[in-house]
Amino acid sequence: MNKSNRIIQVLGVLFLIILVSSCKHKEDEYHSITDKIRAKSKNYHGVTISSEKYFDDIKMMEITEGEHTFLIPERKSQIKSFKCTECHTKPLHKLQTEGVQKAHWDIALKHADLNTMNCITCHNGENMDELKSLTGNQIDFNKSYKLCSQCHTKQFDDWKGGAHGKNIGGWAPPRAAMTCVNCHNPHKPHFETRWPARFNTQKIIDRK
Amino acid sequence: MSDNNKKWYSLNLNSRQKQPKTSSSCGCGKTEGGCNSSQPVEELSAEDFLEAAVNASIGEEVKKDGFDQVFDVKMSRRNAFKQLTASLLIGAGAVSSCTSVISSDESKEKSQIDWEEQFKGNYKLMEDDEKKGTVERLVRSYQLRTGKTISLSSKNAEKDVLFGYAFNISKCQGYMDCVSACVEENNQDRDSQMQYIRIHEMKDGKGFNFNEADDNYYHEVPAEGHFYMGTQCFHCDNPPCVEVCPVQATWREEDGLVVVDYDWCVGCRYCMAACPYDGRRFNWSKPEVPEEEVNKDQHYLGNRMRKKGVVEKCTFCVQRSRSGKDPACVEACPTGARVFGNLLDPDSTIRWVLENKKVFRLKEDLGTEPKFWYYMD
Repeated sequence: MNKSNRIIQVLGVLFLIILVSSCKHKEDEYHSITDKIRAKSKNYHGVTISSEKYFDDIKMMEITEGEHTFLIPERKSQIKSFKCTECHTKPLHKLQTEGVQKAHWDIALKHADLNTMNCITCHNGENMDELKSLTGNQIDFNKSYKLCSQCHTKQFDDWKGGAHGKNIGGWAPPRAAMTCVNCHNPHKPHFETRWPARFNTQKIIDRK
Repeated sequence: MSDNNKKWYSLNLNSRQKQPKTSSSCGCGKTEGGCNSSQPVEELSAEDFLEAAVNASIGEEVKKDGFDQVFDVKMSRRNAFKQLTASLLIGAGAVSSCTSVISSDESKEKSQIDWEEQFKGNYKLMEDDEKKGTVERLVRSYQLRTGKTISLSSKNAEKDVLFGYAFNISKCQGYMDCVSACVEENNQDRDSQMQYIRIHEMKDGKGFNFNEADDNYYHEVPAEGHFYMGTQCFHCDNPPCVEVCPVQATWREEDGLVVVDYDWCVGCRYCMAACPYDGRRFNWSKPEVPEEEVNKDQHYLGNRMRKKGVVEKCTFCVQRSRSGKDPACVEACPTGARVFGNLLDPDSTIRWVLENKKVFRLKEDLGTEPKFWYYMD
């Protein structure tokens, strides 16, 4: 009687051990990928590779917004005719006289409606080399994202974190990201419809 | 059938002796059941008749189990020799041309390489110098065959790296630039138009309905009333495809990439059946890429040239990601719908997405733990 009791006890313990050990995945001691990420990133020491060499042909500048610090492309050197005051030597109303050759004729503003925005919402008629915030403060052309973020606050938060926008170079540090105007034309920020880059004719044949 | 009629050697491993129940001593000398059927019908009971009829049509096969069917093959000595010679010829050819005094140094070297490549081990089990060895052989072999030099890497997984991917379904517009970039980067077969990535055009309000989705549309995008989402290999942390591979030709690397050793794969396609996401592709024919379009920046586990009859798939562009770059699809996406990064780096953008956006994965309940998340704005 005693002996069979002991056997049952041993079997019970064995069963429990098997139950506990089989509950976990075969190879890993983690139950889910989130557990694994949490556990393994506790002692994160950084990586030896860098993505710096993949954008060394682009002039970058470092910005810090909130708790995020990263690189964005410098803008002023990319604008074709910066500084603006090289042409804008006189006040606007004097440049707008009839008969004089027109500039910026190709810009049609398709950004919000005219009740909300016109040229001087962002451009400063008094100082063409700077942008202008809604309250009239100066914003540097290199930091034009500060202008966009006045209205597009959600996109700005996502961009800072990395959920909106596009990475430059690669995943490895240092982090570099496109700024708003690298993807969106500020005068016409919407993406156009277009044809897809490819069409798989073989799939059509295979699925017949 | 009598034993002296037997022209083959049978491994009699199971005790069951197969003796035909009906007599076959009809004198016609045939070993097949053909002459059984010629027996007068009226002498047989219904059961015997059935057996005789079965024997007549498919012969002894019906009584053999799988093992016997394979090993108890009727093979004449001549046939056996023919098959044996054929398989030996390949090896013999290599040996003869590498020891021959007449053949050129180049063809000798080629045979030497082919020989060593033929008998190398599984990449998964190789030491670093063995990996280097096979990579050097493959580069030399490509050089000898085409006269062109490739850069083939055997870079191992970086420490403290676990790759993860996020896909913004509110941003994808269905332009398929990612698909194009992927095909060019990864040297996929142009003839069969193989693609790792599929972009599904889904109807608004129908949710993720793959049955009604179109993954091969051709009209201006984004189309009214539709949204787009992409699928590819999700690099599961608990990958069912790895589990089923009978030869361990596919495995999960330390940095989370699920990779294939194309030289170890036997092409059984179990992994394709096991993958719940249609992440794997099979080479039904020899993959062809025009020489001028071949991406020469290659990795052994990534975009090096494949052969006929092996399985391949997205590797998060291992040749790019292990050197710090983003995969080609991420770089090509014009809408910024694709985010890639190191899940172990608390400051990475992928971690920010996972911690701050509402994310989900496909078929999460299967427990495959994909490292590919979807999110919305």
